[in-house]
Amino acid sequence: MWDGIIAGLDTAIAPFNILMVVVGCFSGTFIGMLPGLGPISAVALMIPITYGLDPASGIILMAGVYYGAVFGGSTSSILINAPGCASTVVTAFDGYPMAQKGQAGKALALAAYCSFTGGTIGALILLVAAPALATVSLSFQSSDYFALMVLGLSAVAAFSGKGQVLKALAMTIFGLMVATVGTDAISGIPRFTFGNLDLIDGISFLLLAMATFALAEVVMSVLKSEHKLEEAPMDMSALGSMKLTKEEVKHVAPTAARSSLFGFLVGVLPGAGATIAAFLAYGIERNLSPRAIKEKFGKGALRGLAAPEAANNAASTGSFVPLLTLGIPGSGTTAIMLGALIAYGIQPGPRLFVDNPEVFWSVIISMYFGNVVLLVLNLPLIPYISRLLIIPRPILIPLILFFSITGVYLVSFNSFDIELMVLITVIALFLRLLNFPMAPMLLGFILGGMLENNLSRALIISDGSLAFLWQRPLTALIMSFAILALVLPIVGRFFGWRRMEGKADMNVVDQGEG
Amino acid sequence: MTLTKDHIGGLLFLALSVVYGYYAYEIRMFPGDQFEPFNAQTIPRALAWVGSIVAILMLATGSRSATERLSFAGLDVKLVAKLMLLVWIFAQALSWLGFLLSTIGFLLVGYWLLGERRPRTLLLASVPFAVGFWFLLAKLLDIYLAPGQVWQWL
Repeated sequence: MWDGIIAGLDTAIAPFNILMVVVGCFSGTFIGMLPGLGPISAVALMIPITYGLDPASGIILMAGVYYGAVFGGSTSSILINAPGCASTVVTAFDGYPMAQKGQAGKALALAAYCSFTGGTIGALILLVAAPALATVSLSFQSSDYFALMVLGLSAVAAFSGKGQVLKALAMTIFGLMVATVGTDAISGIPRFTFGNLDLIDGISFLLLAMATFALAEVVMSVLKSEHKLEEAPMDMSALGSMKLTKEEVKHVAPTAARSSLFGFLVGVLPGAGATIAAFLAYGIERNLSPRAIKEKFGKGALRGLAAPEAANNAASTGSFVPLLTLGIPGSGTTAIMLGALIAYGIQPGPRLFVDNPEVFWSVIISMYFGNVVLLVLNLPLIPYISRLLIIPRPILIPLILFFSITGVYLVSFNSFDIELMVLITVIALFLRLLNFPMAPMLLGFILGGMLENNLSRALIISDGSLAFLWQRPLTALIMSFAILALVLPIVGRFFGWRRMEGKADMNVVDQGEG
Repeated sequence: MTLTKDHIGGLLFLALSVVYGYYAYEIRMFPGDQFEPFNAQTIPRALAWVGSIVAILMLATGSRSATERLSFAGLDVKLVAKLMLLVWIFAQALSWLGFLLSTIGFLLVGYWLLGERRPRTLLLASVPFAVGFWFLLAKLLDIYLAPGQVWQWL
């Protein structure tokens, strides 16, 4: 393990990779600040650039963009009450009232410190938990993998909130259906290509991610005429002090620690992610607080800002656990990273720890660097980064469209891909209007091929019998969790704890989730 | 009966699952594959069935509230249609006019569609950007960008 850590540290401290962390954090912060563009779009926009880099640098850049986007989302939540992504919606509950009281600087600093705490605690747990889980998962068989993928997909639907479970499930199945287009990897037979040679290789995940997130989110803002709205001006001169007093630090420290731990655990769950972690941490902190502090929640409470910020960053780190150790993405963003890793020829999963220790460890170590960069460089530069937002929307939107399109075109040099993007974007827009979430579709698409491979192996080993689902205790246990994940939301409604998640998902549908 | 977003979604998904299922059963297989425990039709068939069941559940449990009806009021559908058409034209122009001219055209028309009318801004935000981006790709990164068929004819 120590050899791996040293190899990872060696890779992570290479000047070029440190540059990638800095560039990733800056560009992520900028994209994350743009209301409507979340971490998924930010990471998707970076993919074409990472194709020219080596795998470790590419993934480090994407991880930096991920953190930057979550941080950027918090900034626009606090300053203009316009969350850049769903996971920072809760940040606005207490962050914006603080900004209105002239404490924007303090709110930004607190958000950065808590994000740092969340990210640091998350990275430390990941450092211990990931290799342990990777070692255990080396004994996994194809039936266990199949069960894990079913768990991942059903958990995505289960965590999608009140009234959304069936829609999320439908989108997951839709993603699995799209994954079957092209040549069947097992038999070599073309499926659903309708004689079109351009579909023989299937639909590229980059194309699907760009069309359903980056492109669809920008076009959605045009559809709602949001490009005509004047952005609320950010009065940078009225930021106020960025310093926190000792008492304030003492007041929020336990909150940050609790929420970080809790956020990480929620992030590890497949499909849960940063949004749910932030909402739940906020709710828990409000319930734990004494009456006097509880009444301040929603009016600029320090703990109300600290809890979601620590939780969403820790959850972002936690979502790397299933990705790096099992090869199963825990969120939409990590699903895109999984696709990118596969494009590099690296198969995330238990073997990653053994076969590519430098990628495994450098990602974990650079996550910590990313948090340092956000705290040391981004925080003082926020007033300057946010000036980029004054680029008028009529100029910015065609540029984002252009980058999304060329990002796909420059990989394949096939104009059919752009035509397909137009078609998929139109479908995605219509589905968004019908309140269908997009992330489950992407997750279904990316897991589709692996799910089919593992099912085929398990079925062939068990001679066509489905008994493999319950014969091996581990498979049976994971399958029971998958069934529970689908049944629990219905039971949960009786206890009323899903109310807040429902609230979160209204934003998830519109803004893309982390 | 009110046709809500849930019902439209359910109906669409049911139609998709049925059509997908029809073609799933049409997937060609090697002789004898049908007797194997797993073949090219296994997953598509299962997905078609599960999809149909989920769609029927969506139809049965969908919200009947009138506030959940699909409405296009206040949505700028025309502008989105124009933008999508512009992207499609850009795809065609890439092979005919080449990367540089297509990009300049795409950005110019894109800005104009979104309400920018100042000629100076239109030109400054498109030509230098497109030339710079083309230079970065073609000259610095050495990526081959086809010049476009029109130029080959001339």
